[in-house]
Amino acid sequence: MKFKLTAFIILLSMGLAACNSSSSNGEGQTSEVLDKEWNQIEKEAEGSTVNLFMWGGDNGINRYIDDWVAPRLKEEYGVTLKRRPMDTNEFIQKLQTEKKAGKAEGTIDIIWINGENFKNAKENGLLIGSFASKLPNNKKYIDPNKNFTKSDMGTEIEGMEAPWGNVQFVMWYDAAKVENPPKNTEELKAFAEKNPGKFTYPNPKDFTGNAFLRHVLYEKTGKDKMLNEKGDPSWLDAKDDAFWDYLKEISPNLWRKGKTYPESLTQLDQLYSKGEVWFTFGFNEARGEGLIKDGVFPETTKSYVLDVGSIGNTHYLSIPFNSPNPAGAMVAINFMESPDAQLAKMDPSMWGEGMVLDTERLPDDLQSDLQALDRGKAVLSTNELEEAYLPELNSTYIDWIKEHWLNEVVKK
Amino acid sequence: MKLLRNKKVRPYLHIAPAFLMIAGLLGYGVINGILESLQMDLSWSNEAYRFLFVESTFWTSLWYTFYITLISTLIALMIGFGITHFLFPYLVKDRWKAIIWVPMLFPHFAAGYLIVLLFSDSGWISGLSYKAGFISGLEEFPNLVNDSMGIGIILTYVWKEIPFVVLMLLPVYVQMDSRLKDVVRTLGGKKRNEFLTAQWPFLWPTIIEIAIILFAFIFAAFEVPYLLGVTFPQMTPVLAFEWFFEGNWEQRPLAFAAMVVVTLIIISFTILIYSTTQKYRHRLMRGS
Repeated sequence: MKFKLTAFIILLSMGLAACNSSSSNGEGQTSEVLDKEWNQIEKEAEGSTVNLFMWGGDNGINRYIDDWVAPRLKEEYGVTLKRRPMDTNEFIQKLQTEKKAGKAEGTIDIIWINGENFKNAKENGLLIGSFASKLPNNKKYIDPNKNFTKSDMGTEIEGMEAPWGNVQFVMWYDAAKVENPPKNTEELKAFAEKNPGKFTYPNPKDFTGNAFLRHVLYEKTGKDKMLNEKGDPSWLDAKDDAFWDYLKEISPNLWRKGKTYPESLTQLDQLYSKGEVWFTFGFNEARGEGLIKDGVFPETTKSYVLDVGSIGNTHYLSIPFNSPNPAGAMVAINFMESPDAQLAKMDPSMWGEGMVLDTERLPDDLQSDLQALDRGKAVLSTNELEEAYLPELNSTYIDWIKEHWLNEVVKK
Repeated sequence: MKLLRNKKVRPYLHIAPAFLMIAGLLGYGVINGILESLQMDLSWSNEAYRFLFVESTFWTSLWYTFYITLISTLIALMIGFGITHFLFPYLVKDRWKAIIWVPMLFPHFAAGYLIVLLFSDSGWISGLSYKAGFISGLEEFPNLVNDSMGIGIILTYVWKEIPFVVLMLLPVYVQMDSRLKDVVRTLGGKKRNEFLTAQWPFLWPTIIEIAIILFAFIFAAFEVPYLLGVTFPQMTPVLAFEWFFEGNWEQRPLAFAAMVVVTLIIISFTILIYSTTQKYRHRLMRGS
């Protein structure tokens, strides 16, 4: 009896070891799909299942994928789309582990990605390769001369990710409590002095908290072009005092006297919805609309952009190096870049975010649909947003802010 | 199969399955962690450790973790011990036992969230005291959650671990020989002597064991400090998590090195305590 058990364990461990080595063959099979014709890819995708890994923290976004995209993809292409909620850095980590273990067939077909995560994924060889230019909708509707199709926060894209959405950074405030919201750093400072504790920003380790500071950095450096072009923050050392000094100065008048900061945007939203603070912000100019409807944000919530402008941010879809179903993934991504899918995504009851397609390339009927689309009364007009548009910074400045903030602002 | 019948070998074979599981999963993890902590830019180096020891963030975090662990452990032990000592006759009844053990049903994360709901500036207690007129605005309520003293974290652990302390101490009380107490009393001892000579010698080895478990558990805990902590200082596991998951992958060896240090501290603490109390345990086990 005991012997059987021991033998079983030995066999089991041998089996495990064998699994490990057998799966490391077959590398390269996945990327073969890149050489195939589009109609062949479509045929291969039929009847397959695609696993889409993406951040799951927004009901509107989840609704859009589950209730709009998935059923249509099933109907038109016979592809079953499964949404798997997971934080981006966690599935990138999962891929990295799979790469190290030599696992040629993973579990992820599509990832939602941009910025630093894209940089890490690209540099560590976690992506399938250049696939975006193969997608018919990408060729047809996306302007290849736009900056967001070439570089993602300073990292060359080279077709390794396909644009999915464009969003802009806007501020949200409760108009019942704030009459004239502060639009630049001086006004904000005066406001915080008068109303201590009513404003704060998330720890810049959080992407959105960091984005707020990137706006301050834009203003304090006079919108220096180097912020976008040069991936080396050393030039800032000479002129960063204005930036850190300002943050230090307002700190005592922030929420909790600046002794602590919300760890994430979700936490700031919670503080805002409970009325502890009067402001929140974030990428996606229509973000608040759904939250007001759901009763999370007060009815009196309004949005505005800062004087310095509003950073625009593009996010993308990509395919991992070991996707078990790359053909299905490409079909699904192509569908999500179709005019119908992009228009539906702009509907505030779904997601509400901006599209990546070139409006001039759209057929006439879709152009008029776009004109007629009501994005909700809390959303700023397209004109106003376009005027305020600021390009995203090179991702090295995100790290630069993260690295120094604790020492420069919190510990002093 | 002579080997299997050998009396010296058999016990080892019997624990082999469990041992393989632990060595395989835990051992692999620990060794991999140590290896990762010794790599920088794909080559071997002790750079991560060197960086940790000159980095004030790490030291502050380590002290902060130590302070929170110590306070939480001591308070939980004292209250848990008090409850068991004075309520022991009731606690052996299932009804009362069930009430005491309610907090054990909650995951730590839920317990942490409960503390947020109760004690944050816009929480229930703050709201109640505002309505009752004790404070004139919600922001006047003392910061008990996300505060730099770690009060929220300590509250959560105390609330969660008291039932554990009771659970561990109850069997000792049940097994305690009550005749010893009578002996002390007949010999003219007071309540204090009764406790010190007839109860304490049986209790303290278990209390030390509980202390070690709680210490190891809280010292390496993540979710509660992540939910209830402050931006600075952070408990070491939270700091390590951030180093690990931050966009900049060059910091990953730091995360592993930090957790290796935490593990070493827990191991040395345990060895220290056990080696100093082992002699006494032997005497106790051989019979009093």
